[in-house]
Amino acid sequence: MNVIKTNNYFFKIYSFLPIILLFLSVLNEFDLNYLNLKYFSFNFPFILIFFFTLKDLKKFDYLLVFIAGLLNDIVVSLPLGMSSLSYLLICIATSYFRNITIRPSGIKDWFYFLFVISLINSINYSILSLFFSYELILAYYLVNTFFTFVFYIIFVSIFKLYLKGLND
Amino acid sequence: MATSRDDFIIAIRSAFLKKSTQQKFSLLSLLLVSISIIILSNLNFKVIKYLKIGLNEVVYRSSFLVSMPENFAKNTFFEIKEYSTFYNDYKKNRKELEQFKSNYVSNEIMQFENKELKELIDDFVSSSNKILAKIIVDHKSPYLKSIIINKGSKDNIKIGTNIYDQSYLIGRVIEVNYKTSRVLLLSDLNSNVPVTIAPQNIQAIITGTGKNDGKIKYIKGDFSSDLSEENIIYSSGTGGVFKSGIPIGKLKTNKDEPIRNMSVQFYSDFSQLKYVFAEIISKKDIEDLEQVITQTDTIDSKLKILEDEIKIIEDTNLKFLEENESLKFEINNLNTQISNLKDQVFLQKEEIDKFNFDEKEFEFLRLNLVYGHKCRKTFLNSSGFKIDTLEYRECVLNKGIID
Repeated sequence: MNVIKTNNYFFKIYSFLPIILLFLSVLNEFDLNYLNLKYFSFNFPFILIFFFTLKDLKKFDYLLVFIAGLLNDIVVSLPLGMSSLSYLLICIATSYFRNITIRPSGIKDWFYFLFVISLINSINYSILSLFFSYELILAYYLVNTFFTFVFYIIFVSIFKLYLKGLND
Repeated sequence: MATSRDDFIIAIRSAFLKKSTQQKFSLLSLLLVSISIIILSNLNFKVIKYLKIGLNEVVYRSSFLVSMPENFAKNTFFEIKEYSTFYNDYKKNRKELEQFKSNYVSNEIMQFENKELKELIDDFVSSSNKILAKIIVDHKSPYLKSIIINKGSKDNIKIGTNIYDQSYLIGRVIEVNYKTSRVLLLSDLNSNVPVTIAPQNIQAIITGTGKNDGKIKYIKGDFSSDLSEENIIYSSGTGGVFKSGIPIGKLKTNKDEPIRNMSVQFYSDFSQLKYVFAEIISKKDIEDLEQVITQTDTIDSKLKILEDEIKIIEDTNLKFLEENESLKFEINNLNTQISNLKDQVFLQKEEIDKFNFDEKEFEFLRLNLVYGHKCRKTFLNSSGFKIDTLEYRECVLNKGIID
């Protein structure tokens, strides 16, 4: 890490890695859908945004999160602003959770994440079906929420290594 | 209790309004912006519409570039999968090919017949042109089954343009940008296609399931007992969104399930699409053609005069040619007649010659009777000649006088 820090250019890229990853994931929609596993899908941007806004990473600008949401809407053809709203709601939830938490715990974060993504997916489903007349399958949302919840713990362990590297 | 509520309010206020050192905007302001964007996009607000069109072009291209590594991994995965089933596929394909070959000829004839009949029914002549389009983004999320192709309004793509994989229908264009378009696949939940189930000609509507197959959403009448696995589904053209007679898939029946849950197996595998065909259709109504004719009346009359002139010249030429032909024929006839006459003359000449010869012979024979004894060589007449010699003949003709 010292080698990276001595090279200013690489350190900048490293510090912006989460936001770069966010943009890549919204543009690429990385969700392993092509494996054709029945109902399988997960929302990687949710995990990424939840973790880094909870950890209050300085480079994780809300404006960039908002823009990433707009890009995601275009890629998956959702009404413009829908994903931005979802992402910002995660940011608000994490900000609130950070304010009320005195002793942070991984398990608490994990279950709070489940609550937040369930709430956001419900809002998403309601807006799309009520205001935009989208025909959606609720089972997909539930499975997506479940897998996002399961994958959270795996990705968090990787993100923690990243944060450790950044702080060192 | 009051303290707890105060803490909650403080935490909420802090979450919404407090900006940390590097955050340029508060969450509340961004939240309000996104909500207003959603409302305005729902109301088809112009600014949002243009913002979306502007972003579309950039985002689709960027998404294509970003997806390259994943696409590479995906393609490798499928290639490995294909290799593992290569031989079995080859055998199956060979069998199918034989079958298709036998059906090909009759299909061609039917296609021509169909074309003629459609032109008669629709009262317009349609000319279609399929253009090849590359899929640049194919993120088929569980919520939306769509693809982005690299052809847009620049290439005459319009909303509703039918998209094909080979000759199979796979979807229609729902969003057009300058150089890109979004295609809603038949497997999407929001896709509804009026179809005909052959061979019974049952009218139905199929919809996507959000997976890789479709299902029958509506069927006219109760025909569940008539349907089997052999039924094929093609577009009926009802509503005018999709062209009629395009093959879509096969029916997958399950006797335990009600008719509404019958699934449709699409001929095309939507997860394996790389290139597709977009059909550009140009229609010309007969009425429109007539209108165009009246508008260009002057030019037409001039053209008509010129055409008449050409026709007259052509007619004259034709007459000359005919005359030439008849003259040639006459000459040939005359030549034949001449040659016949020549032959006749020759024969007559021969006859005359023969007659002349006979007359001389007759004269010789007559004289021979009278003077033959004078010319014949005998014991008493040693100065005579032997019979049948030339000297004897001359002697007879000289009336027995020997030179």
